[in-house]
Amino acid sequence: MIRAEWTKFRTVRGWVLGAVAALVLIIGLGVVPGTGGSCDASCRLPRGPEGHEVADRAEFVHRTLTGDGTITARITSFTGTKFTGPGRNDVALVPWAKAGLIVRDGTDPGSSYAAVMLTGAHGVRMQYDYVHDAAGGSDGAAPRWLRLTRAGPVVTTAESTDGTHWRTVGEATPAHLPESVEIGLFTTSPQWAEKMHETFGVNAVRGGPSTATAVFADVRVEGATGAWRAEDLGGPGGADEIPDDGPEPGAAVRDGVYTVTGSGDIAPAVSGPNGLGTTVTTTLLGTFAGLVLLVVLGGLFVTAEYRRGLIGVTFAASPRRGRVFGAKALVIGAVAAVIGSVAATVALAAGPPVLRANGAYVSAVTLGTQARLVIGTALLLAGCAVLALAVGALVRRSAVALTAVLSVTVLPYLLAMSVLPSGAADWVLRVTPAAAFAVQQSAVEYAHVENLYTAPNGYFPLPPFAGLAVLGVWVAVAAGCAVVVLRRRDVA
Amino acid sequence: MSIVVDGLRKRFGPALALDGMTFRVEPGRVTGFVGPNGAGKSTTMRVILGLDAPEAGTALVDGQPYRTLRRPLRHLGSLLDAAALQPSRTARNHLLWLAHSQGLAGRRVDEVLAVTGLTSVAQRRAGGYSLGMRQRLGIAAALLGDPPTVMLDEPFNGMDPDGIIWMRGFLRSLAADGRAVLVSSHLMGELQDTAHHLIVVGRGRVLADAAVPDLVAGHASLERAYLDLTREAVEFTAEEGTR
Amino acid sequence: MRPALKCEWTKLRTSPGTPWAVLAVAVATVGLSALAAGSVTCPCATDTTKLALTGVQLGQAVAAVFAVTVLGGEYGTGMIAVTLTAVPQRTTVLAAKALLVSGAVGVSGAAGVLGAWLAGRAALGDHLATGVRPLAGSVLYLVLVALLGLGAAAVTRGSAVAIGTVLGLLYVVPIVSTVVRDPDWKRHLQQVSPADAGQAVQATENLAALPIQPWPGLGVLALWAAAALLTGAALLHRRDA
Repeated sequence: MIRAEWTKFRTVRGWVLGAVAALVLIIGLGVVPGTGGSCDASCRLPRGPEGHEVADRAEFVHRTLTGDGTITARITSFTGTKFTGPGRNDVALVPWAKAGLIVRDGTDPGSSYAAVMLTGAHGVRMQYDYVHDAAGGSDGAAPRWLRLTRAGPVVTTAESTDGTHWRTVGEATPAHLPESVEIGLFTTSPQWAEKMHETFGVNAVRGGPSTATAVFADVRVEGATGAWRAEDLGGPGGADEIPDDGPEPGAAVRDGVYTVTGSGDIAPAVSGPNGLGTTVTTTLLGTFAGLVLLVVLGGLFVTAEYRRGLIGVTFAASPRRGRVFGAKALVIGAVAAVIGSVAATVALAAGPPVLRANGAYVSAVTLGTQARLVIGTALLLAGCAVLALAVGALVRRSAVALTAVLSVTVLPYLLAMSVLPSGAADWVLRVTPAAAFAVQQSAVEYAHVENLYTAPNGYFPLPPFAGLAVLGVWVAVAAGCAVVVLRRRDVA
Repeated sequence: MSIVVDGLRKRFGPALALDGMTFRVEPGRVTGFVGPNGAGKSTTMRVILGLDAPEAGTALVDGQPYRTLRRPLRHLGSLLDAAALQPSRTARNHLLWLAHSQGLAGRRVDEVLAVTGLTSVAQRRAGGYSLGMRQRLGIAAALLGDPPTVMLDEPFNGMDPDGIIWMRGFLRSLAADGRAVLVSSHLMGELQDTAHHLIVVGRGRVLADAAVPDLVAGHASLERAYLDLTREAVEFTAEEGTR
Repeated sequence: MRPALKCEWTKLRTSPGTPWAVLAVAVATVGLSALAAGSVTCPCATDTTKLALTGVQLGQAVAAVFAVTVLGGEYGTGMIAVTLTAVPQRTTVLAAKALLVSGAVGVSGAAGVLGAWLAGRAALGDHLATGVRPLAGSVLYLVLVALLGLGAAAVTRGSAVAIGTVLGLLYVVPIVSTVVRDPDWKRHLQQVSPADAGQAVQATENLAALPIQPWPGLGVLALWAAAALLTGAALLHRRDA
């Protein structure tokens, strides 16, 4: 029976051509150079100890520590500026500005570290190795005491309001802290971005770099040797975040009080307005175009039989109607899945080199993520094709079926990517089968990195497989109804 | 005048559907248009109606090509495919738009509904009609323009015995009114006692064109005559042993 | 022509789907426009008129599908043979359908555009710039998109492929043009794309920076619709039904 349905499909030249066209469209739109930039081979994001691409830039005032030790300091003031236009810097501390104590494996970008800090609007926090972040339990603001203790591989941090009564903030074991480490004070302040409400559209975003200045008093270090050194970690040459006419990164000391001004971030790198570069998901942009074709095919595969009365022959040959539907679903789903996997594989392989040749920076992704993108695209296309099949079997008229399916699968995605405000876009991408596009997300969202995590920037509201599950529910319901109706209803 | 077909030739891809088809349909009698499957009956009718274009030859209705007729349904009423309907539209509305296309009023629709016995089901969706009801609807459509010529393609399809008897009587009454009636079929039994004249076709051309009594002469029965005539033209023959 | 128009009108008004489709064009237009206008706070840095008329980007899909099914649906059921038997003058049939589709989409488009403008006024207040050209042009835009759909159905002799083609033209081409990097290619694509060019008629600000000027843009869409209809008419006339 499956063979019968496959024969039916492959012997209609128009359908086979349509399937091939879907494949070509997805690949074609994937390798057309979409974004560009000014990156060349020297554009490379450093990698943290766990392999993530990271941003590692801050003003670092430090001494060398061999073995165990402790650093304590009192932050008496924490202020910042925000670049809002050429020559304009508003006095404002961005929410994720950071100032505090850090111990790290040297000064190379991407080193393992542990830190305790005040933040602009998120209180006292402990972070280590870029991706780990924990709140300290108080919404601390300056003035505040901070302490960081290194004992072997373990780092413990604490905070206090008066210098006497200490509250533990957290404890961590960074991946690689050798015998000899750098320990000291740091200040940094990340890119900021916000949606403009005075303009419509996905590119209605404004942002820029920011700086923060922290004043550290009563700095005491136990166990360190050597003089204090100040440097702009990861400074000019890599990042393009030099504030315009704003305070320069740097450090000054007077009477034992350190004023440290820094810009940048010590955090995982994200793509989007606050980040650098794009993700490989851009090469899968053509998916929606191939999806339109496969939805048309899925609908036609069943409605064409009703048009010619062939459905009577089909059900006479195989009275188990549920099985007929199942066979059709298997055939069209398999065709769509094969097209999806092949197209995604080719686009993922051929797309990034084209993007890089145009100066765009493409964040690296693991093999596991790439596998998910390929399999996910295959399932996305297969699911929508089967959905079209089910709706076609239910309504028996191709125009109605296609309009209905296209308007819940492709249209929400397109509208969310272009004209819908982000609230509406997220709702639509949770509820409709278009939620399955989330499986193609390769950008990772971090709660402790500020960014515009919206759909047009590649961040979907649902986790990848949850989105696919939403599509799965739609398909299951539609297919279930189709089978029930097919069995009960008079043919044609 | 009615229908005059002369030397029609048409190919569909490699298949030669019509190969010099020539005949006339005279008024006042029922003309059966019979032949095996693939003989070209439906194709001939489509050419007469201007739906398909022949490569050679002419087909004239009342002396003109069908496509040049104004109000064509007033010259020739036809039924090709009873299922060619919008299922969601009611039967009456289907006839209504057809009537409007000929400049006829809704009253005429009610008349033909009455003649074909569909008045009680006229407001039902056409998609809900049984096969027999759809055939009657198709005939009603053919009669809308009160045409002097009526052409029906396999109108007995799907009819139950009552329907067949009704149809036979109906066709004879149309002919008795002075109309030319062309009815195609591939089964002799249906046209028995209905047709006055027969055009037997096979392989795209006319094999015999005679009154029923003349055809039967020299053969045991009408069916025998038909089988002898069409033997060479049949597409698929059974093995000798099963005859 | 009169009988053809009358019979096509009867077909249209006795088809249960028609009133829904007509309503949907207006609702889609107003709905998306309201969403868009509501998401922006003014004083705005955007073309307010174009913003308030964003809804046509959804209404166009409904209009196109409706127009396709007016002809494509007849091929699906085989009723096209009955139509061409009743009215053998095939170009007359297509012309009658075109006139009626224009009328239906014109009426619902006008309602939609008016509703969208009112929604825009409610959201943006006095900041909403008005003009006859964007409003009338948007109604014309919807009508032309519908005619493009009708022509596509005549060319493809069905609904499904025509729907896919027209929706692809309207939605995929603009996306391709945003993805292309070369500024010349980008500009040419936007001048030629039926949706981008046609929507130029809605612009009230920054006209010099547009890839194509308002009325010429709508003209490009008109050319697309005309090409589709003329090709469809020619094929309908020549081919076997």
